[in-house]
Amino acid sequence: MIPPMTTATMILALVVVVALAFDFTNGFHDTGNAMAASIATGALSPKGAVTLAAILNLVGAVLSVEVALTVSNAVVNIQDSKGLPKAELMANGGTMLLLIVFGGLVGGIIWNLFTWLLGLPSSSSHALLGGLVGGTIGALGFAGVKWAGDGSKIDGVIGKVILPSLISPVIAMIVAATATRLIFMITARVEDKFREGRFRWGQVGAASLVSLAHGTNDAQKTMGVITLALVAGGSVSATDVYVPLWVKFSAATAIALGTYLGGWRIIRTMGKGLVDISSPQGLAADASSATVILASSQLGFALSTTHVATGSIMGVGIGKKGASVRWSVAGRMVAAWAITFPAAAVMGAVMYWIAAGIGGILGPLVVFLLLVGLSFYMWKRSRVNAVDHKNVTDEWHDGSKPEVAVAAHDVIDPHHELDAPQPAGPAAH
Amino acid sequence: MNMIPLALDGAWKVLVAGLLLGAGLPVLYAFAVRGLAMARGAGAIIGEQTAKPFGKVIAWVLLLVILLAVSYGISFIVATGIGKVVTFDHILPWFVDKPKK
Repeated sequence: MIPPMTTATMILALVVVVALAFDFTNGFHDTGNAMAASIATGALSPKGAVTLAAILNLVGAVLSVEVALTVSNAVVNIQDSKGLPKAELMANGGTMLLLIVFGGLVGGIIWNLFTWLLGLPSSSSHALLGGLVGGTIGALGFAGVKWAGDGSKIDGVIGKVILPSLISPVIAMIVAATATRLIFMITARVEDKFREGRFRWGQVGAASLVSLAHGTNDAQKTMGVITLALVAGGSVSATDVYVPLWVKFSAATAIALGTYLGGWRIIRTMGKGLVDISSPQGLAADASSATVILASSQLGFALSTTHVATGSIMGVGIGKKGASVRWSVAGRMVAAWAITFPAAAVMGAVMYWIAAGIGGILGPLVVFLLLVGLSFYMWKRSRVNAVDHKNVTDEWHDGSKPEVAVAAHDVIDPHHELDAPQPAGPAAH
Repeated sequence: MNMIPLALDGAWKVLVAGLLLGAGLPVLYAFAVRGLAMARGAGAIIGEQTAKPFGKVIAWVLLLVILLAVSYGISFIVATGIGKVVTFDHILPWFVDKPKK
């Protein structure tokens, strides 16, 4: 029997569409996490890098079988301990829960597009969780948010969002800086050209691992959100939750296509804006990202791939003497990290209010059109100073150029002193 | 607020694992590159004219170790994806169901 097309069913359809759209933005927002370093050092061509990343994301996403229904459970009280929607939200074909998720996803997408426009590598997980928290606040007030859990384990907004975002970039930075320092000590006597060439191989390997890990982690989140919506809408039985095959494949495809599109603006910031990377540094950054991400997920420590990857890249800048981190770029990025969660939450709440305020199917449709309009506007804006695979690795100009003369040499280089730049201005004799 | 010590406890472990593998493997790789450079001799090593072929042997042994570690990494990602964990209970790594919490 085909159920009649109720309002709830139509909202459900919209939720699935925006969830896949979010997954797509998640893909291109995070291409740089795995591939920025390889593109910057020329280990892979820009097109080759995004193709490899897309394939590995697809493989990673298809491999994820485990239901990630509890993704949102860490930060909002809309599900029970098994991840099923709470009974009180299930009235009217689960409309309220659907609208929370809908508002949250739209909020997350808008923030992801905005930060992409600015070329800032902000966390897609934070955008998603922030949006969902906002939608929940819109529907249930602040009481609907799980701020700190019950304190017995790492949970809630503080435990799953704030603490990891403070800690994980620092860990990645320490690991990457240590690796960089040691690599240059060990290979001090190896000719630059030989070293640069040999390290590219290792770099591509490490970058591939990051991509694969990203596919398993992030696509699973979208699959979880879609499945949650399907349970709320009654399409998937609440007593026997499974991720329908079409959900899995469409989510995997969406993230892979997004990755293939390549968030060139963000790749540019990460690969060229922060630090000028050589291939040994690239290997150090990617190896650090891969291990920190994997070790954290093994220990059940939530984190954002983006925070780890950017932490690693800053680390290789710190670890190589003479290389410099453009702190102005880093500062802008950290500011974006800090406001991603609250900003996505505000958007999520506003979107929920518009959708629920107008009500019926009209409300969600208005929000959907708003999303389409804003997306189009931001895309249009991005054409003004377009970044694509052709100019992604151009020299970085923003007035805070690192001292190139020094950056070309490393710590142990005996000629280092001779190559140090002369102080600017009238020389003091 | 018990969460900060809990989080720091987790962070500590991630840092140790990160330094062992995330910095350790690149260090092995760096030694392998140095081995390859020694085997090449002139043009690859600064101030060295004679090639030392045993450098290649060292390099390949190190690369093998790295490959083994990386395949563990991949099997771990795959295991997480299909809801299993990798154990070393039987010496050889194998996939088992995730222990219920």
